[in-house]
Amino acid sequence: MTHRYGIFTGGIDIPDEKQATLDEPIRAVSEIEVLRVPLAPCGGAAAEAVVEPGQSVRAGERLARAGQDGVDVFAPLAGQVRDVVSVVTAIGRQLMRMPAIELTELSGCREIPDGEETFDWIHADAEELRRRIDESHLVTQRRRPLPLTRWVQRAHRAACEVFVVNAVESQPYITADHRLLVEHGEEVMRGVSILARAVGARRCILAVDQRRTRDYDPLLAPAEYYEVEHAALPPKYPIGSDHILLKVLTRREVPCGGNTLDIGAAVIDPASCFAAYHWVARGRRLGGRLVTISGEHVTRPANLFVPFGTDARSLLPTSPPPYVMGGPMVGTLCEGDAVTGPAVNALLAIDPTPTGSASQCIRCGWCRDHCPTRLNVAVLNDLYELSRVESAELLGALSCVECGVCSYVCPARLPLTRRVRELKRAIRRLRHTPAPRREGEPHHHPETT
Amino acid sequence: MPATPETTSRQYAQPVVNAAEAPLIRAPEKIQSVYTVTTIAACLPMAAGWLYFGYHAILVSLLSVASCVAIEWGYFRVTHSPALLGRAHAYLTGVLLALTLPPFTPWYVVILAAAFAILVGKAVFGGVGHFLWQPALVGRFAVAVILPVLAQLTPAGSDQKQVTLTPTHWPVLSRDHLLLGDLDNVAQDRLVAYRGWRSRQASPGTEGFAMQHPAETLAPLSRGEEPAYSALAHPRQDLPNSKPAALTLLPPIGDLLFGARPGGIGETCAAMILVAGIYLVYRNYVKWQLPLAFLASAAVVAAVAPVQLAGPNQTVEWMWFPVFAEGLDVGFTYVCYQVLSGALLLSAFFLATEMTSSPVTTGGQVIFGVAGGWIAMGLQLYFETAIPAYLAVLAMNTLTPTIDAIWLPRVFGQKHFEWLRIPFRGKPTKE
Ligand code: SF4
Ligand code: SF4
Repeated sequence: MTHRYGIFTGGIDIPDEKQATLDEPIRAVSEIEVLRVPLAPCGGAAAEAVVEPGQSVRAGERLARAGQDGVDVFAPLAGQVRDVVSVVTAIGRQLMRMPAIELTELSGCREIPDGEETFDWIHADAEELRRRIDESHLVTQRRRPLPLTRWVQRAHRAACEVFVVNAVESQPYITADHRLLVEHGEEVMRGVSILARAVGARRCILAVDQRRTRDYDPLLAPAEYYEVEHAALPPKYPIGSDHILLKVLTRREVPCGGNTLDIGAAVIDPASCFAAYHWVARGRRLGGRLVTISGEHVTRPANLFVPFGTDARSLLPTSPPPYVMGGPMVGTLCEGDAVTGPAVNALLAIDPTPTGSASQCIRCGWCRDHCPTRLNVAVLNDLYELSRVESAELLGALSCVECGVCSYVCPARLPLTRRVRELKRAIRRLRHTPAPRREGEPHHHPETT
Repeated sequence: MPATPETTSRQYAQPVVNAAEAPLIRAPEKIQSVYTVTTIAACLPMAAGWLYFGYHAILVSLLSVASCVAIEWGYFRVTHSPALLGRAHAYLTGVLLALTLPPFTPWYVVILAAAFAILVGKAVFGGVGHFLWQPALVGRFAVAVILPVLAQLTPAGSDQKQVTLTPTHWPVLSRDHLLLGDLDNVAQDRLVAYRGWRSRQASPGTEGFAMQHPAETLAPLSRGEEPAYSALAHPRQDLPNSKPAALTLLPPIGDLLFGARPGGIGETCAAMILVAGIYLVYRNYVKWQLPLAFLASAAVVAAVAPVQLAGPNQTVEWMWFPVFAEGLDVGFTYVCYQVLSGALLLSAFFLATEMTSSPVTTGGQVIFGVAGGWIAMGLQLYFETAIPAYLAVLAMNTLTPTIDAIWLPRVFGQKHFEWLRIPFRGKPTKE
C-alpha cells in the first residue's frame, strides 16, 4: 500500500488538462527528416565536433567531445552529418542558443530499444556502478540538466540519505513520466536501484500523484524487490518542485538559498533513471526522451519517444507556432525551429494567456497566500522596483523555488516570478558568491565578450 | 574567468533574450474584475438602504457614484496620471461612500465628500494600489469634521436649516411607503412607545417616523454625566426611583438585523451585509480572518467593558462584564445590540477589507482586525463620536505599513524566529 502524505501551505489548484494523453500509449516519431543535435545539453560550454560534414554516422556514434566539465554528444539515429549549425533549445526557464550538428538521411530504430542485459548490475558494487555512469555521458533529464556522473558524485560526496524519484508532474498537460512509469515501470525501478546504490542512499522514495496510484499497481512488486517506497501525494501545484516535495516527504526544509543536498536528499526524475538503466545494464545510450505533445490545437495528442534534436515544427505539424516548451508554468515560448533536448519534457500548442501591460500592485496578498515558500512577494516586488537588494535578502528571497505561482495568481498581471528571480541573481552578485552548482542550477554563465 | 586560448576558442550556450517567460497561463482574475465584483456586492446593502430610506437615499447614492467617477475622470484628464487605473475603483469608492452617508445628506455635502475621497484619499497618493487610507472613509471623515465647523460659521438666528449628519432623531420610512417615500415628511416618535417597525403604520399624513439612533440610546450606559438607566433589561424593584432598563428602549433585534433602523444608507441592514460579505469571502476577495477578528474583538470588548448604572441614592455603579451581569441571555442580547447598532458590520466586511489599505499577510490582517475592533468598540462606548467604526478603520489603515513591516512569517527554509532578528540586523551576516 502506498503511504499517504500531508500537504504544504500555499500552492494552487490549476486545471490539469492531462486527460488527452493520460491513457495514450507511447508512440515513436515517424515524420522527422533532419536532426539538429545540440552540443551543450547542459548549457555552458559546447562540446567540439569530431565529425566532418558529409560523414556518415551510426546510431550512438560520438559526434562531439567535451572538455572535463561537459558531456560528449552522441548521434541519436544513424544518418549523415551535414553541418554545424546554431539552434535554440530550452534549458531551465530560458531559451538558449548553442551550436548543433545537423544530421540528415536518418535511418535506424526510432522506438525505445529493447535488449538483453549485458552487465550484471545487481552484483556490481557502488564503485563499479559509479565508474560505469562516469563513462555514460548521460545528463539528468530535468529542467536544468546536469551531467549524470556529476550529479551522482555530488550526491555521493554529500552522503545523502534519501533518494527521491520525483514523478509527480504537477504541471498541466504533462504526462511523459506517467506513461514511462506505466509502460516501462520495471526498467525505471531498476534504474532507481542502480542510481540509489551509486549514490549510497539508504532510503529510496518514488513520489507519485495520488490520483494515479491505481495505474502503478504493477510497479508494487518490483518496488518492493528493489526496496523503493511509494509516496502518493495530493495534486496541488507546485508539489513537483523539489524543495516542496522534500518538505512534504521528509518534513525538512531546504535552507534559504541552499540545495536539496543540504538536507541529505537527492532528487531525480524517472526519465533519468530509465536512461541510466539502459546504459548501465544494457550498454545503450538512449538518444531521446519521452515528450508530451498536447494542447488545445493539437489534433493527436500523444507521448512520443523523440530523439534529441528534433525540431518543434515537425512534432506539431498541424498547429502554428509559437509553442510552449516544457510545461505552461515553468516553460518558455518557442518558435518552430527550436529543438528538443534532455530538458524538454513537453511541447504544447496552447494559447498563452494574453497579459497585456502590467498595472500596479493592489496589495491583494494573493501572491503571498499562494507562494509555497511563504514569501511576501508583494513586498519583494516593491523592493525590486526600488532596487533594494539587501532588504530582499533579509526577507528570504533566496528561498524562492521559481514555481510561477505568484505570477499566475496576480490580478495586476505583474511578472513577479521574473522579478524575484532577478532579485535572487542580484543578491548572489552582491554577495560575490557564485550560484552554488547545485542540482538543477544552470552553469554560471562565463562572461564571454 | 582566465582567458586561456582553449576557453576563448570554445563556444558557449547563450540565452535568447526577450523570450516570453513562464508562467504562460494566468488565473482569470484581473484587478478590474476584483473591483467590479466588490462593487456589485456592495450594491446589496445599498439596495436595502434604498428600500428603507426612499428616494433620498437613491439620489445620494447616484450622486456619490457620479461625482466620484466624474472627479476621477477630470483628474485623469488634467494630469494624465497612469496610476488611477480605469474607472472600476472610482465606482467602488462612490458606492462605498454612499453606504456610509446618511440618507438625508444634502447634495453639496455628497460632492464634497466625493472630492475628498478621490482627491485626498486616492489621487494624492498616486491612485489605486498606493493609498494609505480607504478613500471612501477619507471622504466620510472629511465631511464629519467639516460640517460642524460649517454649522458654527452659520450666523445664529439665520433661517437656514442647520445641516447635520447626526440629528437627534433619524427618519425611517414606514412599511407602506417603502422605496419611494419622502424622508422629510415623517412623524417624530417617542422611543418608549416604539414596539418595532413591522407592527407600525405611519400616522396619517406622514410617510415614516423618526427615532433615536440605537447607538445613541445605548450611549448613556457608558458615557454622559449621569447614568440614564438602572439596569440592562429589567428595572430594579428595590430602588425607589428606578430608571428604565436600557434594552427595553431599543427596537426589536429583528429591526437591527433587517435594517429598519436609523443609520447610514448601507449601515443598517446587517443581513444584506452578511450575505454580500460571505459572497466576497467565497470569491476570495476578502479573507474571512479580518472581518471575523474585527467583529469578535468588538464583541469581546462590549462583553467585558464596564457600563454605568444608577445605583441607590444617586450613586453610579460601574459594572464590569455586562455579559454576565444579568444572565447570559441578557448579556448576549446586549452584546448583539452593541455590535449591530453602529457601522461595525459594514466596516468589517467592506471598509476594513479594502485590499490596498489592509495588511498583506493573513496574520497581519488578524492583528488589524483585532486592534480595529477593539478601537471601534472603545470609541463607540466611551467617546462621543458619530463614526466610531470608521475612525477605527482609518486609525488601523495608518498602522498598516507598520504591521506589514513587523509581521514577517517565517519563510520556507529560514531559521525559526529569524523575523525577530530582522529589525535589529543592519546587514545580513556573511557566511
Ligand atoms: S498578487 Fe499582484 S497585486 Fe496582489 S499583492 Fe501580489 S503583486 Fe500585488
Ligand atoms: S516567489 Fe517564487 S516560490 Fe513564491 S510563488 Fe513566486 S515563484 Fe513561487
